Amino acid sequence: MTSDANPAGRSGAVRTMHLKENLAGLALVAAPLGLLLVLILLPTVSMVWNTFQVPVEGGTVTGIARYQAFFADSYSVANLRYTLIWTLISCVTALAISLGISLYLRFSEGRIATMIHALSLFPLFVPAIIISYALVRFLGPNGLLQLLLEQVGITGYRTPYLTPIGPFIGFVWENIPLPVLVITAGLSQVSDHAIEAARDLGAGAWRILFEILLPQVHRSLLIAFALIFLGVIGAYTVPYLLGPPAPEMMGVFMQRTLGNLQRPDEAQVQAVILMVLSSIVGGFYIATMLRGEVGRK
Amino acid sequence: MAEIRIDKVSKSYGKEKALMQGIDLTIMDGEFVVILGPSGCGKSTLLRMIAGLEAVTGGTISIAGQVVNDLEPRERGCAMVFQNYALYPHMTVAENIGYALRVARVAKAERMARVAMVAGSVGLTEFLDRKPGQLSGGQRQRVAMARAIVREPKVFLFDEPLSNLDATLRVQMRHEIRKIHNRIGATSVFVTHDQQEGMTLADRLVVMNKGTIEQVGSPEEIYERPASTYVAGFIGSPAMNFLPGEIQGGAVILENGIRLPVPGLSGLDGTMVQVGLRPERLSLTGPGRGQISARVDFVEELGSARLAHVLVEDIAISVLTGDKLAIAPGDEVGIAIAPCVVQLFDGTTGKRIETAAHAAQQVETVS
Ligand SMILES: Nc1ncnc2c1ncn2[C@@H]1O[C@H](COP(=O)(O)OP(=O)(O)OP(=O)(O)O)[C@@H](O)[C@H]1O
Ligand SMILES: [Mg+2]
Repeated sequence: MTSDANPAGRSGAVRTMHLKENLAGLALVAAPLGLLLVLILLPTVSMVWNTFQVPVEGGTVTGIARYQAFFADSYSVANLRYTLIWTLISCVTALAISLGISLYLRFSEGRIATMIHALSLFPLFVPAIIISYALVRFLGPNGLLQLLLEQVGITGYRTPYLTPIGPFIGFVWENIPLPVLVITAGLSQVSDHAIEAARDLGAGAWRILFEILLPQVHRSLLIAFALIFLGVIGAYTVPYLLGPPAPEMMGVFMQRTLGNLQRPDEAQVQAVILMVLSSIVGGFYIATMLRGEVGRK
Repeated sequence: MAEIRIDKVSKSYGKEKALMQGIDLTIMDGEFVVILGPSGCGKSTLLRMIAGLEAVTGGTISIAGQVVNDLEPRERGCAMVFQNYALYPHMTVAENIGYALRVARVAKAERMARVAMVAGSVGLTEFLDRKPGQLSGGQRQRVAMARAIVREPKVFLFDEPLSNLDATLRVQMRHEIRKIHNRIGATSVFVTHDQQEGMTLADRLVVMNKGTIEQVGSPEEIYERPASTYVAGFIGSPAMNFLPGEIQGGAVILENGIRLPVPGLSGLDGTMVQVGLRPERLSLTGPGRGQISARVDFVEELGSARLAHVLVEDIAISVLTGDKLAIAPGDEVGIAIAPCVVQLFDGTTGKRIETAAHAAQQVETVS
């Protein structure tokens, strides 16, 4: 493990070979990379640039007036705050549930565990729109849940449909499978013996969880968090179908600004703000991945 | 004070056939006991039951006079060293060693002092700030040892702690473990499937086979007087020769009709036996001499010695000798078999049969 590879000691031939391999690798990714550049990066840059162009008499000047307008509008800010808060709440809840399921799967075997594993992956195969309508039918007014509750004499059911809880339930439902996959993979790296050793020296269940297990899977947790966050913050279908008319999640807000209100300039500003938030978490995700790569070397 | 008493302990996993039935073993305070047996015989399971990581299905285990069946691992005062070390990759060496103390809420200053002392005693002082991933196999092994030592346990339990090391390091760590034991004097139970490791480390050896204890005794006793063909075959390298035969008129008649005179067989006529001959206790002589004659099949050069494989009619026998041999495949040779080297085992049960020759040999070794 302490192999002190001394770069200066490497022969020139080896270095040339590495260079050749690198070039071949670059050639392989050149086409998709170019496509990425032309179809994604360029439009993005031009759009971002556009949001800084402020119309004045007889032309435009570069400035941040549009962003000032966004943050001066209380409805826009409310939407942004609503989006952030409920994204975070959904993330934390989905992450906690996924962690619970993963821990259960890590320490149990047998048919029930297999079934729970399969069940936890099930939402992966159901499109968001179907999930949304299913939830409406189940949780909505006069839905299945309400009927069932009334059967057992519980009345006064208040549906979460069209409240912030509606999309929250949808997000959590949608965001169990991938985190479970990621965290289960992380947990399987922790050896049974490490856990037994901790038990042997007197650590209780909570200690083992917080001092042995979680520190060893914190990378998986961060990755899972980023995956959920990025999926939820820009979501459209679930909040559109299940959420309240106001405030709106940014995805819905953006679509309405562009489609119904026909104000592409404002929609662009909203998009850039959303993009900045996403890229913070995205950068975090990439940094975690890279740190892992380096750690393995 | 930390005597371990294993009383009629049995173990089964789920509905499967019992892995162990009625194991009895007493390990005295301060003793170094090695449990030796092939893979899958239940060594780890027995050790884990002592540690409390596995529940017993029946019977009782007591440590220092207290029945521990229902005690949590930490209440038993045992420290276990695992085969793959089971270090915590996210903690430094110092944190790994001190973790047990932290769990036990030992104050930080005392913790650091004890960690530093133990680390010093196993030569880890300069690595205290490293993570396990930055250590060599031998160093990780030391961390695992230090982690156990720092707890000052009543009992050390080792589950094949050396099997992941290369041969040189294994021998070195073996010596260190024995030295640490001599210094600390805690009761130690060491599991291995390496007979040499077992022989060199043990005060007493426990040979296990398929969930039962075949024999308990000092390494010498087990080598010289194996209780069964199983133990005889398992202990000793190269492995003991076994020749089936029948006792008749004070000698063993081998299957191929060859007569092997063994003193002190009176009253055993008609018993089917396995004759056990250790390769290192036999010697080759010129043709026509010795107790039986044989033909050389091939010779293995071992460096310090030579292992001659010879055929007595159709029965293969190996003979270990330190002498340079001027023999070639096909040569006729004689095998000299001193009466005292012949071990007899019952042909059906495999149990040892004591003969007068052994009694005589016992006297010899005593004088
Ligand atoms: N959790 C378990 N469930 C079912 N069977 C088990 C379990 N643990 C061990 N066994 C079985 O018990 C037997 C003994 O296992 P054990 O680990 O004690 O063997 P061992 O002597 O330590 O072998 P090795 O030298 O390979 O470590 C094996 O046949 C194994 O398959
Ligand atoms: Mg084992």
